[in-house]
Amino acid sequence: MDAFRVTKHPVLKLKQNRKEIAFVFEDQPYKAYEEDTIASALLANGIRMLRRHEESGSPRGVYCNIGHCFECRVTARGEEGVRACLTPVEDGMVVSSGKQLPTPFKEGDQ
Amino acid sequence: MREDMIICRCEEVTYKDIYQTVEHHQCSSRETKLRTRAGMGYCGGRTCRTFVDQIVAEVYGEPSGDAIPLKYRPPVRPIPFKTMGGK
Amino acid sequence: MMKDCLIIGAGPAGLSAAISAAQNGVDVTVIDEFMKPGGRLLGQLHEEPDHVWWNGIEEAQKLFDEVLNQSIDLKLGTSVYHIEKANDNWLVHTNEGIYRGKTLLVAAGAAERSIPIPGWTLPGVMSIGAAQVMTNVHQVKPGHNGIVIGINVLSLAIARELQLAGVHLQGIVLPPEHLLTKGVSHPMDVFQSLLHLTHLAPSPLLKWGGLLAGKSAFIQRLSLQMYPKNGFKLWNISVQMKRVVTEIVGHEQVQGVKTADLTASGDIVPGSERTIPVDFVCIAGGLYPLVELVGVAGCPFKYIPSLGGHVPIHDERMKTPVDGLFVAGNITGIESAKVAKAQGHLAGLSISEALGKLTENAEIKRAIEHIEKTREKALIQFHPDIKKGRKHMETIAADFQKKEVSGQ
Repeated sequence: MDAFRVTKHPVLKLKQNRKEIAFVFEDQPYKAYEEDTIASALLANGIRMLRRHEESGSPRGVYCNIGHCFECRVTARGEEGVRACLTPVEDGMVVSSGKQLPTPFKEGDQ
Repeated sequence: MREDMIICRCEEVTYKDIYQTVEHHQCSSRETKLRTRAGMGYCGGRTCRTFVDQIVAEVYGEPSGDAIPLKYRPPVRPIPFKTMGGK
Repeated sequence: MMKDCLIIGAGPAGLSAAISAAQNGVDVTVIDEFMKPGGRLLGQLHEEPDHVWWNGIEEAQKLFDEVLNQSIDLKLGTSVYHIEKANDNWLVHTNEGIYRGKTLLVAAGAAERSIPIPGWTLPGVMSIGAAQVMTNVHQVKPGHNGIVIGINVLSLAIARELQLAGVHLQGIVLPPEHLLTKGVSHPMDVFQSLLHLTHLAPSPLLKWGGLLAGKSAFIQRLSLQMYPKNGFKLWNISVQMKRVVTEIVGHEQVQGVKTADLTASGDIVPGSERTIPVDFVCIAGGLYPLVELVGVAGCPFKYIPSLGGHVPIHDERMKTPVDGLFVAGNITGIESAKVAKAQGHLAGLSISEALGKLTENAEIKRAIEHIEKTREKALIQFHPDIKKGRKHMETIAADFQKKEVSGQ
């Protein structure tokens, strides 16, 4: 879970001795630290794709990271449309990503 | 340039879709939004509204005025119905 | 419960306003959707000319300590989706319920302008601000090897921050030229806009400006022609004003960018196209005031490009024409966090005055002067005409008031 962590910094004080927590994304277990957001926890684990576009299925990840763009929305705590960038990850949290949805009424899809 | 470039990420509306709509209908930002769905998605147009305005300004010649072309309307964040009714 | 004042935004402006209002006995609630106080102060980190580091996290902590000290009510992780006025009071609708206040300060800050580029929806493509927050706030690198598209003061500052955290950057390059990148994709335009900044920017930039550019346009053109293909090094990051990214490529996530060299007049050099492998891409299109909430609250706007676009009409005391509605910080125009802080301090005083809790005019006058002094000394200036833009807004607000008085 530390592949992408900042491990050395000349100015900033790095967070240390943080409590480790476990969570699940797309049925896979991952580890994170307390204070991580869902987005930072997943990126620290090397996961960039957070959902697929409802219609085209194109892969999407974090874009603005401050809650403006809603690209990082996932399902967490049983709630849809949760912004991974603004939501602290919790121990035991189950997170799942948005999938491509069928478009039965769209022209040419028959 | 690549005309199939996406402008509105939420609704996957391309540059070509928007440009041709404005060119064909000679329309405002608001009408362009209604016709193409650009700016109508989950983010409420926060990411693409300036692009739509720019294309409209260029093609239709609607200059940047003091009024905001795509009026802001509540809710400015998507919310579940249960929140609207009070938790 | 009815509060004297509701503040939306716990950044430098909102927190400073809360503090100065609370010091005058105003009962305040501050609301913000981020989980930590400080707003975009949190990511900021740069070296001042006296070599002291401006660390946004520490600055935010100082404000937060004072907020705690004043027992100010702070609601984090709370998103505002609507604002209404009922019986002269403000109703602020959030995902955590409705808040009520006699006065309202909207200090919502700015949003990032994007730059559409083919392939920009791929995971791994993010706004430059996203990379800043990921790196400095969450201490997770946006990737190991990236590239920044868009050359401006914000991208130069954040690229430096990424480098400090040990993130490798292939460089800072131009976006492809199209209708939506006018003014930011042509080497000459970008060169000129950076020249405007050299007297304000950190010292390495200043040195570079002094080296390459003189006073006449001729020398500037010559400089750009002589500008090395691989760019100049700023803190060892190559700033490539003659290289463009034409497309971002990858299967399921970013794997590389297609680049090409440009001539000084902006044409692609034939045969120079190549693909560079990267694992993340930052798009830096600048900032614009995030005015949606004041729009919903019924505030009129003025379009002033030097302030970042549409800004709410407000007087020099941060008061809008809507009764009981105040603004401060980047929502009023894109400037540094220090200016936002000074504006917030003033807004807190204005609100105290409006509520009849402050009668001393001298303090307000000092606060107004302090904003001007802070602006004068600002290290990072986002637009060369910022002062003109501010003056323009003052005139507009005064005219607006006259019209209201005469009942037009």
